[in-house]
Amino acid sequence: MTDRDPLRYFRIEARELVDQISAGVLDLDQQPGPDLVARLLRFAHTLKGAARVVKQTEIADRAHEFEEVLVPHRDESTPALPADEMRELLRLNDEIAGFVTALSAPPAPTVETPPEAAPVPPATPPPVAPPPAAPAVPYADPAAPEGFSEAAADRQPERAATADLDELLDAIGEASARIAPLREGGRTLARLHRNVESLADRLRVGRTTVSDAGARTAIRRLAADLGALGRRLTDAVDQVERELDEVRGRAEGLRLVPAGSIFTALRRAVRDAADAEGKRVRFQASGADVRMGPHLLNLISGAFLHVVRNAVVHGIEPEAQRLAAGKPAEGTVSVFVERRGRYAEFRCSDDGRGFDLAALRRTAEERGLLRPGADAGPQALIDLVLHGGISTAPGVTEVAGRGIGMDVARDVALQLGGEVAIDNRPGQGATVRLIVPLTLLSMNGLIVEAGGTTATMPLDAVRRCVRLAAEEMTAATATARLAHEGEVLPFLPLAGVLHATPDDEAGPGSGVAVVLAADRDTVAIGVDRLAGITTLVARPLPDLAPAAPVIASVSIDLDGNPRLVLDAHGLVAEARQESAAARGDGQNNARPKMPILVVDDSLTTRMLERSILESAGYEVDLAASGEEGLERARSREYGLFLSDIDMPGIDGFTFVARVKANPQLAHVPAILVSSRASAEDKRKGTEVGASAYVIKGEFNQEELLAHIRRLIL
Amino acid sequence: MSSGTVSRRLRDLREDFDQSFAEPARSHDEEHLELLTIRAGGRPYAIRLSQTSGVHPDRPVTQLPGPQPALLGLAGFAGAVVPVYDLAALLGHPVDEVPRWLVLAAGTPQLGLAFHELDGHVRAATSDIIRESGDEAGDGRRGSLRGLVDLPGGSRPIIDIPATRAMVHALAGHTQATDEGNAP
Repeated sequence: MTDRDPLRYFRIEARELVDQISAGVLDLDQQPGPDLVARLLRFAHTLKGAARVVKQTEIADRAHEFEEVLVPHRDESTPALPADEMRELLRLNDEIAGFVTALSAPPAPTVETPPEAAPVPPATPPPVAPPPAAPAVPYADPAAPEGFSEAAADRQPERAATADLDELLDAIGEASARIAPLREGGRTLARLHRNVESLADRLRVGRTTVSDAGARTAIRRLAADLGALGRRLTDAVDQVERELDEVRGRAEGLRLVPAGSIFTALRRAVRDAADAEGKRVRFQASGADVRMGPHLLNLISGAFLHVVRNAVVHGIEPEAQRLAAGKPAEGTVSVFVERRGRYAEFRCSDDGRGFDLAALRRTAEERGLLRPGADAGPQALIDLVLHGGISTAPGVTEVAGRGIGMDVARDVALQLGGEVAIDNRPGQGATVRLIVPLTLLSMNGLIVEAGGTTATMPLDAVRRCVRLAAEEMTAATATARLAHEGEVLPFLPLAGVLHATPDDEAGPGSGVAVVLAADRDTVAIGVDRLAGITTLVARPLPDLAPAAPVIASVSIDLDGNPRLVLDAHGLVAEARQESAAARGDGQNNARPKMPILVVDDSLTTRMLERSILESAGYEVDLAASGEEGLERARSREYGLFLSDIDMPGIDGFTFVARVKANPQLAHVPAILVSSRASAEDKRKGTEVGASAYVIKGEFNQEELLAHIRRLIL
Repeated sequence: MSSGTVSRRLRDLREDFDQSFAEPARSHDEEHLELLTIRAGGRPYAIRLSQTSGVHPDRPVTQLPGPQPALLGLAGFAGAVVPVYDLAALLGHPVDEVPRWLVLAAGTPQLGLAFHELDGHVRAATSDIIRESGDEAGDGRRGSLRGLVDLPGGSRPIIDIPATRAMVHALAGHTQATDEGNAP
């Protein structure tokens, strides 16, 4: 980079202006307002001036033409631009964006790529043809969503939102300010050091006899000063630590981009597709503030460009059809971005006709994807769309190719370890859902302490915190419910969830109920105390650490130790279940039970036990021998083994012993059921590790179920 | 002696010296084996040093609630989050006591194995290693012990770290990427 690069600042300014112009033009298209024209004129004018200064006449001329189109509409209260003028504005906008992007590409052969994109294969598979309507972007990065210069500009590092940088700088300033007391402490320490030395001198010279008392006073004063200094230093260090934590959180957050940065490109894609199809389509988006890694967002943006275009082309009906169906003439395509624990969900919904299942079936049969007459349900047909090669459109239009969009979405999901789903509502519309795991995610967290453990709750799910007195806490814990604002909420003590050991000596103390909302449900989580709010970067749990659904991710605290980040959805689900279980009767249907494996060589016994267990609400698998039992036990997670003793091959004792010797299975309780009633056999059962011994002769359904309930829940 | 010879000799010596630090002690010679002698759940074991990448005492472990009782939790190592499993539990004899020591298994993904006491670090002659019959048969159910080593004070079963890792991968439902070289 040359220091005297005359375009250095122009590039940054031009990119900002192009972004604003791009968004403004689309606004003008959808919700025209008088101030909008004025604003666009201002942007274009500024750009024209700046471009002239740095002799970028192509840009200046386009900006001028842009102004010319808008000027006649400046004084209209509701500006109404004819379609051809609108198109002209968009064309100029694209040209300007193209020139500006070209300026940003370095002249050297090194193509500017964000570091994350480097080791990753191109986002879109080669067969995808760029939409012909879009302008070519010179020097486009292979990972960029094709044809959308705005999106390319989004990835420029200079565009790291200035507000974030300001916040980071503030936090750094704050941290530096906290250093001052430390420096002051250093000076105090130096003074104390001098005092000690002079005191030592006096003692050495032996003049202490004169003032034994004086020396004692001096030492006492020194001790007091040292104590005060120590406290001040501790305070100062604490504060610096907190500020640095904040700085680190914000700095890590800078690596992430708001999801909203892809909305303009999506909106433009919808607009262009609608224009090409002669349809009127409104674009809505929500979730702009969810922040995630730029690489992830780039890939998703590429896929979603296809998805929204598909929604316009295949989903939204022509105006006449819409009116006939009693729908508003203008179609709607909405994009939602939402963080769900450790996943991000991208949703594209349209209010069009949905997927045409009959057409899908025909096409699938024609292409040999489906045997004629095969009984494919709606979901099976939809799955075919997800796997590409199919489109519902009668012909291949220029905007959207045959389900290629869905192919791209699926590829991206695969690449990111996520999944795609389609929710089809024939006649009402369709929703395409792309769910991807987040690697890094910046969030605000509420730090809570429970049972000696510290964890973080996602602040955006917290509705309020209520202080609970000791007796309120005890009552809420016992009933698993909490009355809050005229409503009874499920109450879940966090310590239990985290398997933390509650402070027994302290006894049931006061606490705080954190009211959480997620999945249209509200619950209260009991914690010992709140320990502040923090900005943190959550990272996924390591591969080898399977965790309960209440854990979303993990962050690193100041000491470098992992701290758990809780999942609001998981907590809500857990609180609901626990609360239902505590109510007793709801127990049977509240918790999805783990399946039970019945091992018995007798068909009758197997069937009898199965019917008993199934009518009690358990899922049951059967094995006819100990060997088969072991094989099944290894292939699935069971809640309990129920085994006969006398069987051909290995007997029940051996089966249980082998299970107990296998660390993957050892935690699953086993019950032996046998006609052997001797004390010796019972002892042997206990010895090999069986949790209970039921005698077949006295076979008592209730007794068996009581054992099972005790062991499995 | 020419100055060239001296400087070459000097260079060789320097390289040897540097090399002695760069290279793990394990490859000193082939007849010997570097072993960590440990106790997990009160029982004595040995671990091949070459299968590990670090031993740490008193590392704070954040408990992680989940389906695996053997998973003690997560520990932080230079900004990375490492799952820590209880060796005693993996070996089938869990005890209540919280293990104090942690050994990092070689390979990826990162994995920590916790044990209760570190007895020492010994060099054993290869001839002191007793392979049990059936060792080579690759019987998967044999768990993570592979052979014994005769040491003063008695013989100790050797915990094979790759086998232990494979067991953890299976427990965690991790897609088997056991070939360390092929790990993504």
